[in-house]
Amino acid sequence: MRVLVVDNGGQWTHREYRVLKYLGCDTEIISNTVPLEKINADALVLSGGAPRIISEVEKLGYCKNYIENFNGPIMGICVGHQLMALCFGGSVAAADTPEYGKAEIIVDKEDDLFRGLPKKFTVWESHNDIVKACPNFEILAHSINCPIQAMKHKRRPLYGVQFHPEVENTEYGYEIFENFLKVCKR
Amino acid sequence: MLGFDPKIFVQDAIEKIKTDVKGKVILAWSGGVDSTTVAALVNKAVGSRLLCVFVDTGFMRKNETEQMQELGKELKLNMKIVDAKEKFLSALKGVRDPEEKRKICGELFIKIFEKVAEDFGAEYLAQGTIAPDWIESGGGIRNRIKAHHNVGGLPEKMGLKLVEPLRDLYKDEVRNVGKALNIPKKIYTKQPFPGPGLAIRIVGEVTEEKVDIIREASFILEKEIEAAAEKGKIEIPWQYFAVLLPTKSVGVHGDVRAYGYTIVIRAVDSIDGMSAAYSKISHEILQKISTRITNVLKDKVTRVVYDITNKPPATIEFE
Repeated sequence: MRVLVVDNGGQWTHREYRVLKYLGCDTEIISNTVPLEKINADALVLSGGAPRIISEVEKLGYCKNYIENFNGPIMGICVGHQLMALCFGGSVAAADTPEYGKAEIIVDKEDDLFRGLPKKFTVWESHNDIVKACPNFEILAHSINCPIQAMKHKRRPLYGVQFHPEVENTEYGYEIFENFLKVCKR
Repeated sequence: MLGFDPKIFVQDAIEKIKTDVKGKVILAWSGGVDSTTVAALVNKAVGSRLLCVFVDTGFMRKNETEQMQELGKELKLNMKIVDAKEKFLSALKGVRDPEEKRKICGELFIKIFEKVAEDFGAEYLAQGTIAPDWIESGGGIRNRIKAHHNVGGLPEKMGLKLVEPLRDLYKDEVRNVGKALNIPKKIYTKQPFPGPGLAIRIVGEVTEEKVDIIREASFILEKEIEAAAEKGKIEIPWQYFAVLLPTKSVGVHGDVRAYGYTIVIRAVDSIDGMSAAYSKISHEILQKISTRITNVLKDKVTRVVYDITNKPPATIEFE
């Protein structure tokens, strides 16, 4: 299984690469300026990063094109998740109360991503902006300060998570990646 | 989960160094987990063509330079110790900005290494750079969180070619590599210590007086935590150290007013240093550390506080 990590300049981009590597994937970190036709992969992970979704979308390179046209599952993390919402007509905004560090998420729908996981668990966050609403997507999880912590497209294998499953302090992070990889194997 | 196989990593890394590195190599050696692991790797690959260089910045912990001399002998490394205490202290005089401090230290390190390399006839500089160093140093669309001395201190045009076999690894993986290379347990389990040393554990300007204070406070804190861990009272944190704040506050010592600095106790639990939770050390132990620091350091330190911030939002170090 070849899963590439698209680098949006996150502190934890390389952690995503590490988790995928540990789970046995053939993986690499690629720049978000690699044209879609040059990407040879079964699935993509769009990393988080410093660019603000509300003002710096241009720094996310070709990510919008990947989300719209890549033929395979994608998991968008943090700003990757926010861009996914933006691509499908969702609304994003600066969070009234951003989340940095420890938070608790509440799973609204187990679906694929949270299969076999508890209804509430601790995750690690690092974001200033949030997705407020997103048509065509189902909400899978939320937290007190963020209405959409995880979401899934109603028809395509597109997943967005606001929190960071790649970080050691997040509970069940590896399991979330494993669940995503199960989707990729379908 | 497949995870990571340190034995395979060691074989591949040694092969790669043998192929890539043809001449002499100097190693920026701090005696920590990362650079000692690189020392063992490069030593296996190039043998006597390696010179390990330890720079005494003057910002080392108590007895550290002496311990390094012993470690060098124990590991049978070709070693050189450079005394740069005066240079570092005078270069940091009047400097308050943390990034400026890191940059100055990084540049001084490189100048020293370039000189040693010239004398030794080396073309290569080996370093214990690991993933968080270049990640946090930023570049491109990645924001600079802090310039690690071994990345951010490098000049644009450097005469030395870099050998950095651990660039893609995190601390927990390096410990496993160190173990696979049979370096002493006390080294591969050692807590991280930054290159600029105590200089970035003094918030703001570095002075000789403050270095002496933080060195003693760090010593007390480390000893108390290690003693508590030995007695099974706590799990040893991933990292534990003291930080000196320039904030002064009032104390009362033997019925006399005192006005001294503030020491922060910082201890975190982590796997890789990229995210961390503050350690839940018991009040009994915290109290012991606080009492000893304030008593031993007399009117220099009048207050001790405990940092209860995770990473993020904070970083582990203060600067």
